[in-house]
Amino acid sequence: MATSSTTVSDDAHIQTEEPLLDVTLLKEIARKSLVDALNSVNGAKTLVLDPTLAGPLGLVTEVSLLKHHGVDKMFWLEPGPLSSTTTNIVYLCRPMIKYVKIIADQIKRHGKDSQQHTYTIFLVPRISTLVSRILEEEGVLGDVRISSYNLQFIPIADDVVSLENDSAFKEIWVDGDETAIYDSAQALLTLEKLYGLFPRIVGKGDHAARLTTLLTRHLPTDSSTPDTLLSPSEKIDSLIVLDRRVDMITPLLTQLTYEGLTDELLGIKNSQVELPVSLLTPPAPPAAASTSTSAPPPPAAATPSLKKVEAKKKHHLTTSTDPLFAELRDLNFSYVGRRLNKLARRLEEDYKGRHQAKTVAQLRDFVGKLGGLQTEHQSLRFHTGLSELLVPLTRTEQFNKTLEIQQNLLASYEITSQLTAIEDLIAQGADMSTVVRLLCLASITSGGIKVKTLENLKREILQAYGYDYLPLLLSLSAPPLSVILPNPLPPALAAAPKYPFAGLRKSLRLLIDDTPEAIDEVENDISFVYSGYAPISVRLVQCVAQKGGVLSNPAEKEKEKDKDKDKGAPKAQAHPIAGWRGFEDVLATIPGETVDVVQKGNGGGAAAAPVASLLRPMQKPTTTVVFFLGGCTYTEIAALRWVGRQNRGRKFLIATTGIVSGNSIVESIAGGYGVGKKKDGSKDAAI
Amino acid sequence: MSTERPSSRWQIMQDGKTFYTRQQLYSIPGKLPNLNDYIVAGCCYGGPIALMRDHTKLVALSRAAPATSKAQIQIYSPAGEGLLLFSWDQGKIIRFGWTADERLAILNEEGTYRLYDLQGDYQQYSLGSEAGEMGVIDARIHENGLVALTGSLLLLEVKGWEGARPLTLANPGLTQPPNSWAVIAPDVNISRHVEVLLSVESTILSVDNLESIDQRLSQGPFTHISPSPNGKSLALLTFAGTLLVVSADFQRTLAEFKTGDVVGAEGSVNQVEWCGIDAIIVTWDNLVVVVGPFGDTLEYHYSGPTFAVTEPDGVRILGPDVCDLIQKVPASSASIFRPGSTSASAILYDAWESFSQRSPKADENIRSIRPELAAAVDECIQAAGQEWEPYWQRRLLNAAKFGRGFLDLHNPTDFVNMGQTLKVLNAVRFYEIGIPLTHLQYIYASPSHLIKRLTARNMHLLALRISTFLSMKPDAVLKHWASAKILRSRPSATGTGIEADVGGDDEVCKLIVDKFEQLGGADVSYAEIAKRAWEAGRGRLATKLLDHEPRAADQVPLLLSMKEDRLALLKAVDSGDTDLVYHVLLHLHKRLPLGSFFRLIEDGGSQLAPASKLLQVYAREQNREMLRDFFYSDDRRVESAVLSLDEAASISDPTSKVTAVRAAQKFFSEDKDCTFESKIMDESARLLAAQQQLEKDADGKVVFFGLSVNETIRTCLVNSMSKKADKVKSDFKVPDKRFWYVKLEALISTSDLESLDAFSKSKRSPIGYEPFVRQLVEAGHSKEALAYVVRCDPPKRADLYVECGEWRMAGKECKERGDKAKLEAIRQKCPNSLIAREFDQILGSMK
Repeated sequence: MATSSTTVSDDAHIQTEEPLLDVTLLKEIARKSLVDALNSVNGAKTLVLDPTLAGPLGLVTEVSLLKHHGVDKMFWLEPGPLSSTTTNIVYLCRPMIKYVKIIADQIKRHGKDSQQHTYTIFLVPRISTLVSRILEEEGVLGDVRISSYNLQFIPIADDVVSLENDSAFKEIWVDGDETAIYDSAQALLTLEKLYGLFPRIVGKGDHAARLTTLLTRHLPTDSSTPDTLLSPSEKIDSLIVLDRRVDMITPLLTQLTYEGLTDELLGIKNSQVELPVSLLTPPAPPAAASTSTSAPPPPAAATPSLKKVEAKKKHHLTTSTDPLFAELRDLNFSYVGRRLNKLARRLEEDYKGRHQAKTVAQLRDFVGKLGGLQTEHQSLRFHTGLSELLVPLTRTEQFNKTLEIQQNLLASYEITSQLTAIEDLIAQGADMSTVVRLLCLASITSGGIKVKTLENLKREILQAYGYDYLPLLLSLSAPPLSVILPNPLPPALAAAPKYPFAGLRKSLRLLIDDTPEAIDEVENDISFVYSGYAPISVRLVQCVAQKGGVLSNPAEKEKEKDKDKDKGAPKAQAHPIAGWRGFEDVLATIPGETVDVVQKGNGGGAAAAPVASLLRPMQKPTTTVVFFLGGCTYTEIAALRWVGRQNRGRKFLIATTGIVSGNSIVESIAGGYGVGKKKDGSKDAAI
Repeated sequence: MSTERPSSRWQIMQDGKTFYTRQQLYSIPGKLPNLNDYIVAGCCYGGPIALMRDHTKLVALSRAAPATSKAQIQIYSPAGEGLLLFSWDQGKIIRFGWTADERLAILNEEGTYRLYDLQGDYQQYSLGSEAGEMGVIDARIHENGLVALTGSLLLLEVKGWEGARPLTLANPGLTQPPNSWAVIAPDVNISRHVEVLLSVESTILSVDNLESIDQRLSQGPFTHISPSPNGKSLALLTFAGTLLVVSADFQRTLAEFKTGDVVGAEGSVNQVEWCGIDAIIVTWDNLVVVVGPFGDTLEYHYSGPTFAVTEPDGVRILGPDVCDLIQKVPASSASIFRPGSTSASAILYDAWESFSQRSPKADENIRSIRPELAAAVDECIQAAGQEWEPYWQRRLLNAAKFGRGFLDLHNPTDFVNMGQTLKVLNAVRFYEIGIPLTHLQYIYASPSHLIKRLTARNMHLLALRISTFLSMKPDAVLKHWASAKILRSRPSATGTGIEADVGGDDEVCKLIVDKFEQLGGADVSYAEIAKRAWEAGRGRLATKLLDHEPRAADQVPLLLSMKEDRLALLKAVDSGDTDLVYHVLLHLHKRLPLGSFFRLIEDGGSQLAPASKLLQVYAREQNREMLRDFFYSDDRRVESAVLSLDEAASISDPTSKVTAVRAAQKFFSEDKDCTFESKIMDESARLLAAQQQLEKDADGKVVFFGLSVNETIRTCLVNSMSKKADKVKSDFKVPDKRFWYVKLEALISTSDLESLDAFSKSKRSPIGYEPFVRQLVEAGHSKEALAYVVRCDPPKRADLYVECGEWRMAGKECKERGDKAKLEAIRQKCPNSLIAREFDQILGSMK
């Protein structure tokens, strides 16, 4: 068997023997509080659901559970009248003004038609004064009961938890609305309640600092404070907080891992991707017919009443039902084809096993494996199909031109001609978000674009895509975002420090020689996720948790050799967390506050705890939580997983406000202008 | 101190197995008035009773107390001590009852209810205007809420005691008030929602918030309905005097008993209450009868009228002279003290007695129960908890201790806890305190509940001692103490001057803070105490105390009510809790004139920047007018312009849209840093005007308005208005490249290949001819694309030919250019062997 697949199974092995924090606990909490919320309303009820919550809810619960707890019918929370057959109407939504207005409107309509209903609003994640105020202004506050459903971190993979708040980035850096920070702090506090205080919090960025302040602010303890908040955690060794502003470059680039690319090209929302139905419904082979009867294909059953018979269906990308996905998701896409090929061959071998089965016992063994083989078979077919879908999209001239511009900009190679290339892309009618991403990238990497050129480009964009995008461009150029800046800066902004990309490129070793073998054979650095560029955010995490990895990686190659010889060769032991030590100078150049706080807790063992952590046996595995304020990309997750695999004794738990990509960031800032409102026809398919 | 065996007070049921005991808690001769003249409500867990003169009964005027027309409520402890007396000046009282936290809820006929604590402070709530109009004719008050029956015979439920909005329960369709009714509290009901039982005619209706179900009984009507403490059974008393016990779902009749058969019962039944969960007591004026599960009875006589309060483990009887607890003898006590008991625990107790009398029998006894000794010890500990007399508690604990000595391993926790608990219980049972809690009730209600009850009686020292003794945090006690302290320490009449007042504030604040720190209660919420101070009219003291409060969420509301606006906003922003910031903002917006509201935020500078941002978020959705004023007053041109643009985007009416864009342009032009944006907006407005003209030219058949420049050009071309397209191009200085791409695409999309040809020859293409080939191929015009391949750069032609599907031409091209590498590359992708062979030939010929 090939070496690469052994390393993967090796890693899988290690993961099982050093279990992470059990994040399914969070899912259980979310589920239970939903059930409690629903049960607090007696009898059958109509559930009216905020469409942006459907995805997150789908990750923690399923329709049957809702039905089981008295949900009779479900509707989207949309403008227009609501007809309900049950007395109870339950709204579940985020505390957004537009939703509240819709609710108020529906209640008033019912009042006019003299329909009697009992209204309950569950706000996610907490009750808001704003909502009751608006209901009051609309004159319906007396008719509703307002309560909350505290949906916090949702596990979207074994090692990733997310608040699934799509607009967090925009809210924080464009609107200046710090709600997302507060909610993040609350969610992290829940983690602390479960596992104990984060013994050390390191972070970078002004808002990361704000978050840390909220998290570490000493609040009086009363009898309801769980003991876990009194002493540092045993299982977690630190929390690393990075705000998205610290590394704007990474999301602007095109992600090149399998999962990342799928997100770039097809769009993944709440771990779900819309795919043609043909790809998802296996052409039931006669052999599998017996299994398919026992489990009727859900897509056909779940969506018979849909208005639009669109040949697309949502697919949940998860490793729990899809064994191959864990192997594939973090691979550089150029490597996926080969891996699929290898898997196909292995699968064939396994199937052939039946010919060797001579005795009844052997046959029984084979039949026992058959179920697993069929699942693998199915998932292999799915991934082959999916990558076939992606390949043509990566062959287009625009895609490749975009990549080329990105790589050149990262290397600061002939910036002027890159700007011309961007202009050409506009002329060719490339996607607005693609162009804006490149423009931002050019501005950040080169420290500003000449005023003339910039104005010309802006004008091109506005003419090509519509003048409605002017607010978008203004938001991107205005502080605190400032990702499109003229050079020289106007006097008003001159004080703001520039992003020192050129310096970081050197000090953090961001660009790796793009010799093909460096990427192809041994993925020996996190830069594999962008085919030669290492995300700054993950490099910063390495500065804390794997200091050696920032400076060089030649050791890795040697280790790979060792590993081939002797698989049991131990990996380097993860070093304890010592803050930013060794990288203070680099950190100082990046704008934004640098955070490094040690939390001792105020419990009984206040003095003893740090000593204990020092004396802790080095072999004891710990978890480092990395929190991305403002979202992270799939590539960053992939890179962090890679970092986690390099050392023994430290796993990463990635926490984020949501999964973002360059497109999703640009589109959320653009707001309603560019993005045609997507209407989901299906009522329950989403959950 | 009674040293006779506890069993001497026991009485046995007819079945010969169950014992009941009547424990005298207090002797209260003459402390309570004649209960027959009063309406009484008792609070369980050894709580006080409230009395109100029953005006339907005749009262001799010769009483010492002057007969006042005003309603008066008196509250007595179980030991007969008067706790509180106040008069009621509101509408007629319909009903009063006790809440779980020992407050007296009083509901009047206008639907107003007040919650009095034992100090006479109250909160007032209302059942709403509807109840006020209809009037309330009756109500049932349970520990965590109440159900009221309105004049229109509808049921209103209030959950909790925080003034929640009343919910209307399902309409039972009554035509007259029910004969009697009762509620099953939500916490013991199976559905976790309140259930109301109404005796109507011969049946019972059970009503919850969804439906009203007729239970189809025939024995009614009933004069008493009483649900058991665990909500699983009901005791019903018919007019004929038959006591029925049924399960709460009315499926099973558990017992039936004729009260008429009781000897000595005179007059009507006063009360039907539960004693524990399997026996019922029925009271007459001088008689209390315990009815066991199988219709067995025990009779207890009193010298006058009584009042019974159901407890979780028995029933408390307040008579004219005594306060008694009637309960089933707990298993542990029965096992030890039952005459002739041979259980291990009885023998253990016996052994200990022998031991204390230095009799060798002790050893013998212990030996005989060796295997069960551990269980016997546990039972002795439990039995100690059931005893009222410290004498017996001590004896039983001693027996347990004695037994423990013979055990190798025995966890002492229970023993220690029981000792502690009994100390506490004995302390609070003392008649001056007057909380006769049994061990079981204490466990049910929790120690912290007990502390709360003590502080409610202003017994801070005892509460503090007990919480220290039980190693609980002293916070709750301290908080209550501080509030009481503030209320008591009103600036004295002598210190009329301001200075005296100030001194008082500082002193009290220091006193409170010192006390907290000294007792380790530094985590007490100062905000609540400060609120008390504020309510007592001591603003300065409140501010001082508030400074010690670490929780912003608690500080802010008080700061707001104290009109410390800026400070409140600062604290809210500082807390990072955006909801709190909104709370302050919305509050201030309502209260302050707009100008000073804006000034407050603007003057805050960077400290209040988050608040300013939040205000914008809110106003953008809900109150644009205000936002416009806000930006204007702060000279924020760019924001004003963006706001204007934002509106423009949502407007469909052409004229007003142009106006909005013009307005934005004007705002931009006023900012010297925005010359570019101003120019762009000018362009935008011009484009809109041009589009209107174009629509006119196209006779309104084509929609132009609101399109981008590119789309305008494309639409022109698609609708064969190519002159106009050129004009747009020149008017808006569209670069050649972009124009060519747009035109190329437009022409291909309409398959106007002739124009395309003409266009391509109009001048040298600024975008090359590759895009021509590619787009044509994509649109399925491979043949036509060939013509453009020759016009492309030579090195690219081979690949382009391949794209057109012309492999041979590609081969030829390579051959002509002698590009062997390219040829081989293309050879790799060959679709079939025929072409592959040709390539091989060419390759061969190129050697």
